[in-house]
Amino acid sequence: MRAFASLDSETAALIPSGKAHLRDSTQDGARALDMFLASVERKAFRIAQIALRHEADALDVVQDAMLQLSSRYGSRPPEEWRPLFYRILENRVRDVQRRRSVRNRVMSYMPWNKDDDEDAADPIDQAVDRGALPPAQLESDEAMAALEQALAGLPARQRQAFLLRNFEGLDVAETAAAMKCSQGSVKTHYFRALKALRSKLGEFRT
Amino acid sequence: MTIERAGAGDADGSDLERRSRALLQQSADALPGAVRSRLTQARYAALAARPVRAHSFARRWVPAGAAVAAALALLVVYVPRGHEVVETPLANAGLEDIELLSDNDAMPLDVDQDVDDDFYEWAADVAAGSSVPAVGS
Repeated sequence: MRAFASLDSETAALIPSGKAHLRDSTQDGARALDMFLASVERKAFRIAQIALRHEADALDVVQDAMLQLSSRYGSRPPEEWRPLFYRILENRVRDVQRRRSVRNRVMSYMPWNKDDDEDAADPIDQAVDRGALPPAQLESDEAMAALEQALAGLPARQRQAFLLRNFEGLDVAETAAAMKCSQGSVKTHYFRALKALRSKLGEFRT
Repeated sequence: MTIERAGAGDADGSDLERRSRALLQQSADALPGAVRSRLTQARYAALAARPVRAHSFARRWVPAGAAVAAALALLVVYVPRGHEVVETPLANAGLEDIELLSDNDAMPLDVDQDVDDDFYEWAADVAAGSSVPAVGS
């Protein structure tokens, strides 16, 4: 019952007192899901951000993926959550990219769209004063920017395979489940991603 | 932190993998506070949307109950109950009645027309001790 002690009081009030076992198991499930989401949220955000190159969109995508996992697959065994979560996340990323593509196509036909460049922020004003950063931080930021650019230039499946395998640490089977493809395809995508990254980043040295 | 071409002894790309993993992990750990706050809010919202276990319990058992009921219904309707005739008088009553009615050689049911009423009247009188002569004598 100690687990119940930390339960949010409003949630606890909703559960009848006679169903202690139900209350405990519900609490255990909620806690397990909370721990899982906490363990993936930052990496998921970075994966979405690299794919979308937009912070707010990436946050929305991660939130949608969390909501869908919790509401639709929360009762599944916890070992299934990770591949499911990343499959949902990638679907959301693709949805945003499709919407963005359609919107850009439509907006390109609009006559008033030509004036938008005047309102755009000046990139020089937006740039960080890199001279103020310590050398190690500067080096790391430059390396990260190069890696991010190289990753964004990869085909979606290669990028996904690389990030899930190398960053998130999924094994081949889990990656295949997340990408909804065979394990052989995962290996192929990963190998091609590595090859492409090596060709892009090979001369990058600091 | 450097990303560099894998060396001659690094044909499997592990150096690139290791360095990129470290960079990505570092960037995830160094997310701005506002982003981390948004992620935490998103997590809480997701947990609030989680269906309680009672619902999933019911969702699991209701279809099972329906399946059992359907199976029972199928058993009642389709399982053969045997084609042999049950040997009970009531069960065969209708059939016997039809046979009796349709049998020309059987004793007619309106046998009352052949009853000798005078005989029965005489027999009754004899039994009552009267000296009434026999009918027709």
